[in-house]
Amino acid sequence: MALLECVQLSRNFGGLVAVDKVDLAVEAGEIVGLIGPNGSGKSTLVNLITGVVGVTGGRIRFEGHDITALPSWRIARLGIARTFQLLRLFKSLSVLENVTLPLQPRMASGQAASAFGRRRAAEEDRAAAAKGRELLAFFGLVEFAERPPTALSIGQQRMVELVRALIVGPKLFVLDEPAAGLSPPNVERLIGLIRRMRDEQGITILLVEHVMKVVRELCDRIVVLDYGVKIADGDPQAVTNDPRVVEAYLGGGRAQPHARG
Amino acid sequence: MRRILPALLALAALALVPLASPSGYLLHMLIVVFLYVILAAGLDLVMGYCGQYSFAQGAFYGIGAYAAAILHRDLGLDFWQTLPLGVLSAGAFGLLLGIPSLRLSGHFLSITTIAFQTIIYLLLTQWTSFTGGQYGLPVPKVGTLSLFGHELFRIEKVREFYFLALAVMAVALLVAWRLAASRIGREWRAIHDDELVARAIGINVTRDKLVAFVASAALAGAAGVLVAYYLEGVSPSDFSIWTSATVVAMVIVGGRGTILGPAAGAVVFTLMPEVLRATADYKLIIFGVLMIVMVIFMPMGAAGLLRRERS
Repeated sequence: MALLECVQLSRNFGGLVAVDKVDLAVEAGEIVGLIGPNGSGKSTLVNLITGVVGVTGGRIRFEGHDITALPSWRIARLGIARTFQLLRLFKSLSVLENVTLPLQPRMASGQAASAFGRRRAAEEDRAAAAKGRELLAFFGLVEFAERPPTALSIGQQRMVELVRALIVGPKLFVLDEPAAGLSPPNVERLIGLIRRMRDEQGITILLVEHVMKVVRELCDRIVVLDYGVKIADGDPQAVTNDPRVVEAYLGGGRAQPHARG
Repeated sequence: MRRILPALLALAALALVPLASPSGYLLHMLIVVFLYVILAAGLDLVMGYCGQYSFAQGAFYGIGAYAAAILHRDLGLDFWQTLPLGVLSAGAFGLLLGIPSLRLSGHFLSITTIAFQTIIYLLLTQWTSFTGGQYGLPVPKVGTLSLFGHELFRIEKVREFYFLALAVMAVALLVAWRLAASRIGREWRAIHDDELVARAIGINVTRDKLVAFVASAALAGAAGVLVAYYLEGVSPSDFSIWTSATVVAMVIVGGRGTILGPAAGAVVFTLMPEVLRATADYKLIIFGVLMIVMVIFMPMGAAGLLRRERS
């Protein structure tokens, strides 16, 4: 049984079919790349899987459970973490608060216990902060723990986003263009980090990416979308040489009458 | 701890004020300040922390006040019984207003809160058989609190009421501070920044927003019960949209999401018209101009500016 399974998944926006009957299976421990030209439906597919937008048709199963109709916060609590295409950190929280926030809903003591200042809640908060600092230290960011995220560079903010997702020990980690806006040395670092997430912590990864270097070096398998339809699914070498994929990216023999954006 | 000590000192200083035998006028002004501090700190939870702009704090204030008056009239309940019931009534209406916030945001939510405020005000003025209409309803003095037949204390004079209002304000600020400084406060700030991401990392945004509306309204309800007993009566004009707008101005000018900022805003906006007596007719114009200036030059309010200077 695949960890994540999408069956005939569709999403329409008015008359536009953003995702069209896509079948996608991600096995536990895999790094799967999701690529396609701009506007091909990659981000919509990610939003469907993580419950950010609702499904028009089809089903999504995670560890065999149907999660199609669940709200995104429930899906997150089942163990699917994600990052966003544009950096989306909480500006009014410190870096440390940003990364420990996902632990809060998973704590044994509730919000009321925390508001009443109960010892157990305070201990859990301290443990969360310690864990947050430990992970930030691993990414070389612990010195910024008390700063607002806006004090960090784009590359550092991306790392904070990774920490925020990793801190809960997700089973599936969906990364939406993590290399966007990163300098080449940081891209190298990112590749190493993603590989370690899988190799050392066994996290399954679904990676939406434009930077082909990242996709080629990391992915066990690549899925290609074009106009919301899955046009290829297989090992990176075969997929990147597939004539349909080449055509989707570079255009066929004739000029494309429609712009994609 | 470093925050608790100054707060305790400030409360102690306020508790000593009546000992200096001040004028009744000063005590009256301070009681009004305390009421508005409760309203502004309450609104700060839903507006400053959770980011849901509500123009209905005056309505919840009114619900608390009328709950006190009606419970006294119909059931003969006294202050100590109506205080928790007024808080609960306002909280229940807060839950009701919280429901649209799950689907609406920004200006649309603000308009809904204005509609809610208007409906409550119309009910207070028009449903004469229940609310007394424009004439309002009488409320007795707080009187004595007795426990097992022993009189604990008596609250009849302004000076005695001052301590009661101070105590309720202290408790209200404690509640607001604990909520804001604990986990739910952090979740509110996250929702304020980016609701979609908050959801995506597993936060139950629906529940957190409702808690914000209920807590905010419940605090306003406490202020409402207090004002009903202080003025020994309720009338609709105290609970109009102007009250709501003034509390919004207190929160924005004082500094959103800081509790103490809006409390300071409440002090300034309550005392300013007294100091500038001559310009009373232009009060709202001055408030409006002040708010626009603040939003443009200090969007995070006075407290936000102080915080930035420090860091």
